[in-house]
Amino acid sequence: MRRAVLWMPLLLCAQQQPYPPIGPDHSPDTREVLRRINAAGPNEVPDLRLKQEHNYAGTSTDVEPYGGVKPYKEHFLKQMEYTGPGRAEPEPVDVKTVRIGFIGPIQSTVSIATGGKSHEEALGRKMLEGAQLAIEQANARGGYVKRGIPFELDVVNDNGLWGSTGNEVVSMAYKRPVWAILGTIDSANSHIAIRVALKAEILMMNSGDTDPTFIETNIPWTARSIGDDRQQGYLLVDYMIRKQNYRRIAIIRSSNRYGRFGVREIRDSARRLGRPIVMEMAYKVGSSDFSLQLERLREASPDAVVHWGDARESALVLNQMRKLGMNQPYFTSDRSVSPEFTGLAGANAAGVISGYPWNPDRKDPHLDQFRRAFRTRFKEEPETFAAHAYDGMNILLWAVNNAGLNRAKIRDLVATRAKPWPGITGDIPFSSVLDDMGDVFLARFDKDRWTYHSREELQIPRGSVPTRERVNRQLEGVK
Amino acid sequence: MKHASLPALLLLAAICHAQQPPGNAKLPFVYTRWKQFTKADGLPNEHIFAVKSDGPRIWVGTEGGLAVIDKKTGKVKSWTEKDGLPWRVVSGIDINHKTGEVWLALFGGGLARFSGGRFDHWTQMNSGLVNDVAYGVAVENDNVWVATTAGASRLNTVSGEWTVFTEKNAPMEEIWNYGVHYGDGKVHLAVWGSGVLEFDVATSRWKDYLDPDGEMEIDLYRDDGIVHVITTGADYVDKVLWVSTYFGVCRYDGRNWRGFYNQDSGLPSDFNNNLRARSGNEAWFATDKGAGAVMDAASNTWVAYTRDPRSSAGKAVVTRDKAVIETVEMGLNLPHNYVVSMDVDGNDVFVGTSKGLAWGIGDGYYAGLKERPRQLSRVGGGAR
Repeated sequence: MRRAVLWMPLLLCAQQQPYPPIGPDHSPDTREVLRRINAAGPNEVPDLRLKQEHNYAGTSTDVEPYGGVKPYKEHFLKQMEYTGPGRAEPEPVDVKTVRIGFIGPIQSTVSIATGGKSHEEALGRKMLEGAQLAIEQANARGGYVKRGIPFELDVVNDNGLWGSTGNEVVSMAYKRPVWAILGTIDSANSHIAIRVALKAEILMMNSGDTDPTFIETNIPWTARSIGDDRQQGYLLVDYMIRKQNYRRIAIIRSSNRYGRFGVREIRDSARRLGRPIVMEMAYKVGSSDFSLQLERLREASPDAVVHWGDARESALVLNQMRKLGMNQPYFTSDRSVSPEFTGLAGANAAGVISGYPWNPDRKDPHLDQFRRAFRTRFKEEPETFAAHAYDGMNILLWAVNNAGLNRAKIRDLVATRAKPWPGITGDIPFSSVLDDMGDVFLARFDKDRWTYHSREELQIPRGSVPTRERVNRQLEGVK
Repeated sequence: MKHASLPALLLLAAICHAQQPPGNAKLPFVYTRWKQFTKADGLPNEHIFAVKSDGPRIWVGTEGGLAVIDKKTGKVKSWTEKDGLPWRVVSGIDINHKTGEVWLALFGGGLARFSGGRFDHWTQMNSGLVNDVAYGVAVENDNVWVATTAGASRLNTVSGEWTVFTEKNAPMEEIWNYGVHYGDGKVHLAVWGSGVLEFDVATSRWKDYLDPDGEMEIDLYRDDGIVHVITTGADYVDKVLWVSTYFGVCRYDGRNWRGFYNQDSGLPSDFNNNLRARSGNEAWFATDKGAGAVMDAASNTWVAYTRDPRSSAGKAVVTRDKAVIETVEMGLNLPHNYVVSMDVDGNDVFVGTSKGLAWGIGDGYYAGLKERPRQLSRVGGGAR
């Protein structure tokens, strides 16, 4: 009783903290994590109560790989820990600002994927604006709370050419040191970035790369604040096969890593459900003529077509499909949920369904507050890359404010966060591999607008999600 | 006092038997004499990304400079950027024994050669080096190979010609190179996302080793190939390929694969930063929870070296098929249990950790297993 009374002021303080809750966190969970970190000796690894899951990524039994075989080992169920000595590094006293790194495609450049002009700046600039807004709001509230000094965003362009992402992260780790990094979008560049982050021991928060393999690397220095293509793929497959009963699904995708890995779970899940993809065609990023791919797709007589790629190509593929008389339902990735897509697709956009990592129509005063602040600051509407970057940056700011200026402790706070981050994109619960396991949605374009629908709302069936590890349960039987 | 339960008694008996059993047994060599080197000894930085023993000296690549240790005197000489080292983070070291040149992979700084007291420097802006984020370097005859984050580069030191290997001319599913090693006429690249690539120097042909199940989240069968496609190191000795990953380690003798995990062997952790093979039967692994050495692969006999983080004591745990068969307590062995790099030279081993370097002195070393009495529970000591 007495203990409860003592906690009351702290709880009230926590409740009264303005949104986003990046200030001092007096929750028992966070206090306990910090107590454990600070109680450990310089060579000790604190007992941070690692997350242990029984199923990877909410995968249902009927789409698990090699479902008829008990695997020798399952990865990603127990959380990776950082066992190095970084927590013993003292907080520096001579800093004037608290630098946070940002790396994203913000300037037009040459693209390896296209062999010509780069193509992700529109997304990267929005990501930057979301991150900037979070930093500016934090500074308006006094900056880094422990010292009252401002946060500073160190912004670099993710050129991506010849592995330059790695060079930039090296710079942010050693030459212009930052405390944590937000970035990037291109999945190849993201992998390059986290390889450096791991060696340099600095946390990378990703808010724009939906490649499932980004966090499937077993390294303790990465986290992601956006639902990935695995989750979106599962929902699309459940909708197409379990609900709509499509039997012949075809895929057309970009030939870059975004397209290649984006459709992987759709392709594999469809096959495991007994509806193998009837045809998969790839095109080079930046293409305008898809007649070769679409002629082949048409010959395969699909019930539905899935596209994975950028908004422009998505619209052009759709338009050319319809021109060829291909009137199949059209499913796309989240990048199509954009004015560019609907502008180019025109009337053809009606009925298009996309996987989507959040629900922008959600009734949430914090989301409304974010939208107002964003409009005031940038004179435009925020979109998905801005919103996820805002959430990702706020998670970092919360961690810095509470862990102090120590890269390992910042990592620890993010990694051990017990409750989902209350993001403007929805709750962000981290999995054992620090992936965003929050709800994903289907976006449908009708009557000149996108609407967002949950699995429950559309009554989309799902397979049985097991509660025990594969190595510790009976096989469901060979499909 | 309450009566102990039968399982508890059996467990106690098993522990006593494991730690102090009587009589001889077939056991591996255990390193009990260790020296440590830290900043107090003159290292420029204690995060040891690379270590290379070269006869009477030990080259040490750190996060904050290069050092060389005189084995006889223990004296340390170091170089930082103020001394001409082109970039502070030295992530790989190899020696050209024909010329005596020391080749350095610089993490974010390209490639450097240290010779005659002078550093020469190659970057992606002044040479054919494909990227400056270099993770490893290996000397192959007159060639120097560099594993970078955007492919591998090969410099012919006689002609000055560069060759770049990426997905365009090598079977790299991804180009994110991590480790490179030369031995027995073959160059092996450990590539994040692309398993291990083998380059036959005589034929210039590539061969790839990938995880047969093709899945990131499982290893379907332990012994069907590389345990995971994200690899961190590869060593080829006695025509045996050893591979380290963040998911476990494995061995390939040209016919059969064998995977080793923490759950089924003495490997201290599945998170392996690097490795160094001494033979086809023995290899050392740099894990985040100590140094693990498989001393007899055939019998799955391991020695795991760890330090007590609360004291200056260390221990070695000998296991066979995960069962503990000997525990040897000793003075300080590793400065820290987070092991980053590794080397083996003659009878000695060198363990680079994130808080300094450990040198295991192998007086009386023998390969494989030998019938010997189990050691006393506390031996040796960590000499500084």
